[in-house]
Amino acid sequence: MIDLGRQVLDQQLVDRNDLNMGKVDGIALELREGRPARVAAILTGGHLLSRRLHPRIERWVRKLTRGLAPSRVQPLRIPWPQVKKIGIDVKVDFAAADAMPWEHWVRDRIVRRIPGA
Amino acid sequence: MSREIYLEDLLGRVVRTAAGRPVGRIEDVRAEPDGDEYLVREVVLSDLGIRARLFSMAAQLPTLKAIGLARRYRTRIIPWEWLDFSDPSRPQFREGQAREERERGEQAGG
Amino acid sequence: MSKLLKIALGIFTSIGGFLEVGAIATAAEAGASFRFQLIWAVVLGTICVIFLVEMSGRLAALSHHTIKDAMRERFGPRVFMLTLVSDVLVNVLVLAAEIGGMSLALQLVTGIGFRWWALPTGILTWLLLWKGSFGLIENGVSLLGMVALAFLVGAWKLHPDVHEVLAGLALTLPAERPVHYWFTAVSILGAVISPYLFYFYSSGAIEDHWGVDEIGVNRAVATVGMSFGCVLCIAVMIVAALVLQPAGIQPDRFEQLGLLLTGPLGRWGFYLFSATLLVSCLGAALELSLATAYSFAQGLGWNWGESVHPRDAARFSLTYTIMIAVATLLIVLGLDPLKLTLFSMALTSLTLPVVTFPFLVLMNDRDYCGELGNHWIGNTAVIVISLLASLIALVAIPLQLMGG
Repeated sequence: MIDLGRQVLDQQLVDRNDLNMGKVDGIALELREGRPARVAAILTGGHLLSRRLHPRIERWVRKLTRGLAPSRVQPLRIPWPQVKKIGIDVKVDFAAADAMPWEHWVRDRIVRRIPGA
Repeated sequence: MSREIYLEDLLGRVVRTAAGRPVGRIEDVRAEPDGDEYLVREVVLSDLGIRARLFSMAAQLPTLKAIGLARRYRTRIIPWEWLDFSDPSRPQFREGQAREERERGEQAGG
Repeated sequence: MSKLLKIALGIFTSIGGFLEVGAIATAAEAGASFRFQLIWAVVLGTICVIFLVEMSGRLAALSHHTIKDAMRERFGPRVFMLTLVSDVLVNVLVLAAEIGGMSLALQLVTGIGFRWWALPTGILTWLLLWKGSFGLIENGVSLLGMVALAFLVGAWKLHPDVHEVLAGLALTLPAERPVHYWFTAVSILGAVISPYLFYFYSSGAIEDHWGVDEIGVNRAVATVGMSFGCVLCIAVMIVAALVLQPAGIQPDRFEQLGLLLTGPLGRWGFYLFSATLLVSCLGAALELSLATAYSFAQGLGWNWGESVHPRDAARFSLTYTIMIAVATLLIVLGLDPLKLTLFSMALTSLTLPVVTFPFLVLMNDRDYCGELGNHWIGNTAVIVISLLASLIALVAIPLQLMGG
């Protein structure tokens, strides 16, 4: 038996190459007619974090980042079967490189432009 | 037919009886593997009230525990099926379950 | 790396991190105004920080989480954000003070105003992080920081009355200027108990893959390193007491601090003081910038690490860049580094409970520390000292602002 809030939510997500790819920002539970509910997916990114802080903070962050491409990206959904291990962190069968719009945006728009990067 | 609700929306929500009486707060949700899936089995409820929320942190500190501040904080575990999530922002006990929960709670001396 | 070498290196880094503009300025202020009366504040702060540094190493070794990482996991994003905002506000002020310290050191030696030095020193700090391997830099700067031993030599040469020094260990009430006394006490506490220090330490422990075997090393490094730093800090106070106080100098004009070591050590003393200030502030500035960037990265799940290239940790690198830029700007705009130092140290004291309380909960949580969680002594010491520091700060800061 695992405690979803304590052991999964807000844990570090690690991809198949042991790279950090954010935190578990949300967990989707699927309610089914006549059958027990099951854990459907892990969610990360998007505006999930700011929404959890406060709806007003989410609105403010959206306004601030409007027009920037990563702001429009939906949270990444990792289906539960792709979760490989829950321990110190949550290892998923995924490639971080496909999953971090803000990291790539900062790298390409800002870091690349600074000499010596 | 199925629909999705989100754990982070449930945590911290007050659970009420069908009649609207507040019973406790959702502290956590527990799941266990069944074949390829993880099935949601139990809900962990904590007491209501400001003291309960403050003490949830204090309960962790042995120093404060020693001076008795942690005694106010308890959790109880109820089966997932006892709750109705048709409105995820207002989880409530299904018909008849609230009484069973209370009785169980009284038996345990809580 | 052999265990002994690890311990030695850890100790040097701790000493280097201990003494920086905050410790120097507050100790000098205390010595010049109250002679040895405030030695108790340095010792009290050191006791608290030894516990905190040891805890942060132990948390990393047992749970394989850094403090900030564990904060978000255990308490959720709201509590984490609260501590993060508090950290960033305090850190940017302290970082500005360190850049100010470096700039003042260069002003002492060259005569060119400190505001001109803010940009070069800020850029130097940034460049060392952007281009370098953090470990090498940290160790290098810390070893250079051994130049602070000049204060020990200076203090020894001035032959302080041992009885008077020991008397300073006891808390005594000041004969005059009580508000200033308590404000200085609280600034000393904030200078010695620097949260960025143990956040940085826990990140380092994770990078070095500490495990249960390192618990002993951790304890040794924390205790010896911090204690040695404490002795250095007291040495600064002694020198200030015996050089500035008899001359009636209140170090509110920075140039007067430059005189500190010229008494006992002559012309050399002047250069040694400037070198000490420059190097120790550089080390602190590097740690502060990294600690803040680590806090963001560990709470939000970014890639972070000692030798990670800016390309591979873009948000992490951007964070420390912005921190350094804002802090540099504050000094360029002309904020008085000495005043900023004293104030930011007092602010650190004020916000200590926000930092230490959740940390203590983690240290007593079986999920994180197993059977090797905190002893009641550590819990009590940290709770009491943090609350004390915060309460005194709550009273002393407004009074000082109104009176000063």
